[in-house]
Amino acid sequence: MHYNRYLAVAARAVRRSLKDDKRVAAERRGEMDLRFAKWENGKMGEPKNLAEVNASTASESANSA
Amino acid sequence: MLSRVARPALRAGAAAAAIPARTPPNAATYATLREIEGRLKSIRNIEKITNTMKIVASTKLTRAQRAMNESRKYGETSQEVFESAETKPLEAEGKKTLYIVCSSDKGLCGGIHSGLSRFMRRHLGPGHQPADLVLIGEKSRAQLSRTNGKDIVLSFAGVGKDVPTFADAQAIADQVVQLPTEYSDIKIVYNKFINATAYEATMAEAFSEEAFANSPNFSAFEVDEELLGNLREYSLANSLYWALAEGHACEISARRNAMDNASKNAGEMINKYQILFNRTRQAVITGELVEIITGATASEDM
Repeated sequence: MHYNRYLAVAARAVRRSLKDDKRVAAERRGEMDLRFAKWENGKMGEPKNLAEVNASTASESANSA
Repeated sequence: MLSRVARPALRAGAAAAAIPARTPPNAATYATLREIEGRLKSIRNIEKITNTMKIVASTKLTRAQRAMNESRKYGETSQEVFESAETKPLEAEGKKTLYIVCSSDKGLCGGIHSGLSRFMRRHLGPGHQPADLVLIGEKSRAQLSRTNGKDIVLSFAGVGKDVPTFADAQAIADQVVQLPTEYSDIKIVYNKFINATAYEATMAEAFSEEAFANSPNFSAFEVDEELLGNLREYSLANSLYWALAEGHACEISARRNAMDNASKNAGEMINKYQILFNRTRQAVITGELVEIITGATASEDM
């Protein structure tokens, strides 16, 4: 678990526990819609959704721990 | 009998004869008049579009600048530690440098993406030290993959739709930290916002753990060795957020200027074509009058 993941999870928990009116504004700040692709030898790999990949690695590490 | 059979053919023949007869004899002048009109219309539409984009960019600009000023605090505060520790980048000993280029997905904003790409190419130059690239945004990916495709290790897309959030920066920093290679230092390349019309490709440092541990004033902080990794990741996210927000503000202001210029040029073209249109129309009218008068005088003489 990297520090930034830890921070992101903590921030999400705080945002979700806010009251409704503040929560809507705060959750907009936490939105992330990035796609990324790994490159090898000048070839682009398959583009993947970053949020989904993060979620799956997080659940994997939770299962293995 | 014969007449009835021949009738459709006759009709068809009459229709065929009527079509060329219907076009006016001075077709050339009418056609250019219509062409000018069509071109005028399309230029007017383009002007409308660029003008609207300019207004949209202007309203976004204030938000982007506010986000930039807020994010500057993140960047400056996290740099303060390194400044007071007098951290210097380590001398590279066979290790690569990682460059993170912060551009975005969207175009139509002048030369700010190509400015970054040019800066990167000049910096890497021919026979450069081994370096890896992380590209944020489709534009820099398209431009740099042509010349430095071999050096790219990661590319991100989906930036630039809105003001970048800290969650974006964190996610990017997280992926960068997970890269298998160890880098001597990480440099973030972004557009620095000087004023509404000027921006400049700049580099910001994100130091590695060893660089910080070897800095002269390191002992003043009394940090545990194992926390250094966390500090490095967090400061990378901070610097990235700063760079992204500043780059975003530059892009929006550049787009505003580009659209302003485009609208101005369209206005000039509209004036030019309007004058040309009026002149041609008058010429056509004069030509027709001359024809009528000559025809009238000729028939009077007879």
